[in-house]
Amino acid sequence: MANRPVHFIWLLDCSFSMQGEKIAKLNYAIREAVPEMRSVAHDNPAAQLLLRTVTFSTTAQWLHQTPVPVDDFTWQDVQVDGMTNLGEALHLVARELQTPPMPQRALKPVLALVSDGVPTDDWKAGLKAVDATPWGRKAVRVAIAIGADADRGVLQEFLGNPELQPLDANSPKQLAAAIRWASTAAVKAASQPVAGDGSGVSPVKQPYAPPVLDDDDDDDVW
Amino acid sequence: MVTLGVRRWETLRHSVQGVGKRQNQDWHDCQGSGSGTDPLVLAVADGHGSAVHARSALGARFAVDRFLVLASAFGRAAHDCHEPGRLTRLMTYARDDFPRALVHEWRQEALGHWDRNRPVVEEAAREPRPEEKLVLYGTTLIGAVLTPWLFVAWQIGDGDLAVVEHDGTLTRPLAPAEEDLGDETESLCGREAWRSMRMHWAPVFEQARAPRLVVLSTDGLSKSFASADGYAEFVLGLAGRLAEEGGTGVRESLPAWLAQASRYSGDDTTLTAAVRHPEAPPEASGPAAAPPPAEASAPAPAADTSAPPDPRTAAGPTGGDVDMERKTET
Repeated sequence: MANRPVHFIWLLDCSFSMQGEKIAKLNYAIREAVPEMRSVAHDNPAAQLLLRTVTFSTTAQWLHQTPVPVDDFTWQDVQVDGMTNLGEALHLVARELQTPPMPQRALKPVLALVSDGVPTDDWKAGLKAVDATPWGRKAVRVAIAIGADADRGVLQEFLGNPELQPLDANSPKQLAAAIRWASTAAVKAASQPVAGDGSGVSPVKQPYAPPVLDDDDDDDVW
Repeated sequence: MVTLGVRRWETLRHSVQGVGKRQNQDWHDCQGSGSGTDPLVLAVADGHGSAVHARSALGARFAVDRFLVLASAFGRAAHDCHEPGRLTRLMTYARDDFPRALVHEWRQEALGHWDRNRPVVEEAAREPRPEEKLVLYGTTLIGAVLTPWLFVAWQIGDGDLAVVEHDGTLTRPLAPAEEDLGDETESLCGREAWRSMRMHWAPVFEQARAPRLVVLSTDGLSKSFASADGYAEFVLGLAGRLAEEGGTGVRESLPAWLAQASRYSGDDTTLTAAVRHPEAPPEASGPAAAPPPAEASAPAPAADTSAPPDPRTAAGPTGGDVDMERKTET
């Protein structure tokens, strides 16, 4: 017997446009999120929460390509460099979302994009590649906008759901709550009716409005 | 856990609540002896279990209860299946009409419950459409009926039907061609849900060729294994242990096995099974009442079952201790 894994993949924008306060916010966001993710993992021992990170600038590369159990995950601040090749990063992720290497028996993966937008390559092709994989289509997605001038349209398109909004990294508490929500949505084991089953009822969207911070009932699964 | 002392079939069943779940949303039941006039009927259901499906535990119970009534009637109607043309008509009914009848009855029961237990809402609030009400009760269902001449099973949604055939081979006749990823499932609460119901039709022309073991389980069991092979080994191990120890020994171990599975899957975990009595008598009026099989001895165990089960380690049915270390799949 084996617990089912939850693959949580960070996609981190390390382009020049992130220089200064923005990259500091990005590093802070990851640091704040990890304890929340550990907490979710400990509350849900039946799932294995495994973390990976891709950074993208002039090139996209895996910072952690081998999935790291959340308890063993440590964060080293990243630095800025070059262009914004989001498309390349999405292609890298798409390859990992194929089965194999992804196991068939897994819980939904989580894709968390942290960026100020304005990609400089064919990012839509990368997004199509992710959407073309079965696990990519099922993934829980979170987009974190860095900076007031962030190109939110790109982040919105990455989310692929008009009911979800990109998050602002301005509120550390809200950010932590959002990451907690995304992790929880993924680790909970609960069968749900397939989307578009003809019931005439809209498929259940991820219940994302900025999470209610004081609500300890943040798990939607009984 | 309930045991039915039967001549043809022995049954065992149990359910455990998922770790961290507020309540067990699975339901299960079985009834009957497996004779022509008293068909054996088994069913398990798995309510979806979230805020959107707040009454799914009830939905699962309604599904099992309605299935038992309808499938028992179907099994009794099959008593004269040896008459010319009768088997074909029964198959057509099982494939086309039974799913519609079952879905209709489940919907009526759920909508009736909703009417008697309306949620508190503002006065001006719009009355939900029936489909919206039914989402509250969403559930999967697997059910089977066994008579001396017929084995029929139906399934909507996830979970598993496993059959150990007369020759010891394992089949999963209702398993999808390709395993679904994640936790999406068909549901009784979907519009035209009967279209999503799969059926397994297996007439029994010789007593000796009836299944040895029929296992129905919710997805909390199969999802506790890293692959489908693990689930198959579990079922074959269960068959081996039943052959070696009989139902009594296995019945004692079953709660610990399911509890262990639930710890890995994180889900409610339910199993109900029927094991054929090796010396079941032939039905006097059956179409092919063969004499008891000469080779009706216990099947060879699928694994080394020499070690007795140890509840302290919650050894699985294959007899080996389960590796309790968390495995990382990448």
